[in-house]
This record gives sequence, structure tokens and C-alpha cells, in this order.
Amino acid sequence: MALSRNKLYSIMFIACFAGYIWLYFGLSHEQSKDKPLEVCLVKHFTNIPCPSCGSTRSVLSLIKGDFNEAFGINPMGFLIAFIMFLSPLWIIVDVTAKKNTLFNFYQKIETYLKKPQLAIPLVLIVIINWIWNITKGL
Amino acid sequence: MEAQKVDMFIMSNGKFFESHQINVIRERLIALDDSKWAMISTIQFKDPTTSLIVSILAGSLGIDRFILGDTGLGIGKLLTCGGLGIWAIVDWFQIQKVTREKNLQKIQQFLY
Repeated sequence: MALSRNKLYSIMFIACFAGYIWLYFGLSHEQSKDKPLEVCLVKHFTNIPCPSCGSTRSVLSLIKGDFNEAFGINPMGFLIAFIMFLSPLWIIVDVTAKKNTLFNFYQKIETYLKKPQLAIPLVLIVIINWIWNITKGL
Repeated sequence: MEAQKVDMFIMSNGKFFESHQINVIRERLIALDDSKWAMISTIQFKDPTTSLIVSILAGSLGIDRFILGDTGLGIGKLLTCGGLGIWAIVDWFQIQKVTREKNLQKIQQFLY
């Protein structure tokens, strides 16, 4: 395992921080009614939405409390919102208490996800979600 | 181990490691017992070129990270569209180094 505890925590913390800034941008952009913000490389190059396209819109509608719309845009938004909400809190608790519960949890999850009986259904779910994304034309 | 065998190993597998690590690997291999040769010579390493190709083609889906065994980071890349495209581009330049580090970890299990 190459990833050390501190490296994992800083990556996750920076990612969540960047995510919150991105959400703030999305919120302020939404009110100005311009063309929607799109940075996805896959979509720019191929014109096909990627599996996680629309997750910003999904999280934004989650913030407004519209669960049905969030699910309709991209169900991955629920997962992202959950991780973004939970992981900074968990990291802060871990760092202040000088423990590594999150790191152990991450490693355990990683070994579970490598098992084929769990990995194959999850890959199928992602692909089905991708096909749905393409058909609804995000 | 015989120096000749070790040099043969280094010649055929040198591209899988960072150049500054090769000398250390060579010394360790020479100091190693001959009985481990069968194991050492059959380890499968990951090719940095392959991961670079995968990273360029499917990097924003995180597939390069999944292949290297970093499942957690792969999911992170998949969920965020390759870190809003930034992480995907950073990984085009980083993934070869990461692959070589993974290979070093793999051979280190046998060296020590």
C-alpha cells in the first residue's frame, strides 16, 4: 500500500475543498442563467456525456432539497454529496484525536471492492447509469 | 545469485523501474539466495507504457487507477469526471512514475 495516511487525508481534504468551491461557483452561475458550466473532458472531445456528467447539477438540486430531481439528473450525486459531507468531518475528528480510523476504513473498503462478486455488479451499475445518461442527453 | 543472471533480469525488466532504483535492485538481487530465482523471474510487472495509453484514453473514468490497484482513487476519479479534468491531466504525466513505484513494491516483497 503506497498511499500513506497523511497523503490520503490531504488528497481527500483538498478534493472536498475544491468540490465546495466548485459548488459555490455552480450556485452563483445558476442564477445568472448563462450556458451551463461544463469542464468534462470526455464530453468536450466526444460529445457523449461521461458516467458522472450532471453530478454537479444533481448535488445542487440536493442542496435545494429536491431529491427526485437529483435522482433524475444523476443518482451518483447522492454518493458524492454523502462523501463530501462526511469525509471532512471524519478527517478533522481523526486528525484531532490522532487516530487513523478513516485510513483503516478506506483500506478495508478497497480490499472489499477488489473482490469480483462485488466489483462486477458495481461496474454494471455504473455502465447502466452511463447508458441512461446518454439516452437522456445530459 | 550469479551476476550474469541478475544482469539478464535487469536487461529484460529495466523498463519497469525508475533508473535510480535499478542499482539498488541489482545489488539486492546479487545478495539474494539462488532458490528465489524461480519466483523472481516469473513476477508479472505492469508496463508503464500501457498505463500511459489507458490514462490518455480513459483517464477521466479512473480506469488507469483501477488497473494499478488504487481502487479508492479510481472511484474518486470516476465520480468527479477525472477531478474536473484537472486530475486526469496531472495523471497523464504522473501515471508512469506511479506504475514504476508499484512495480518496485511488488519486487520488494521478494527482495527483503
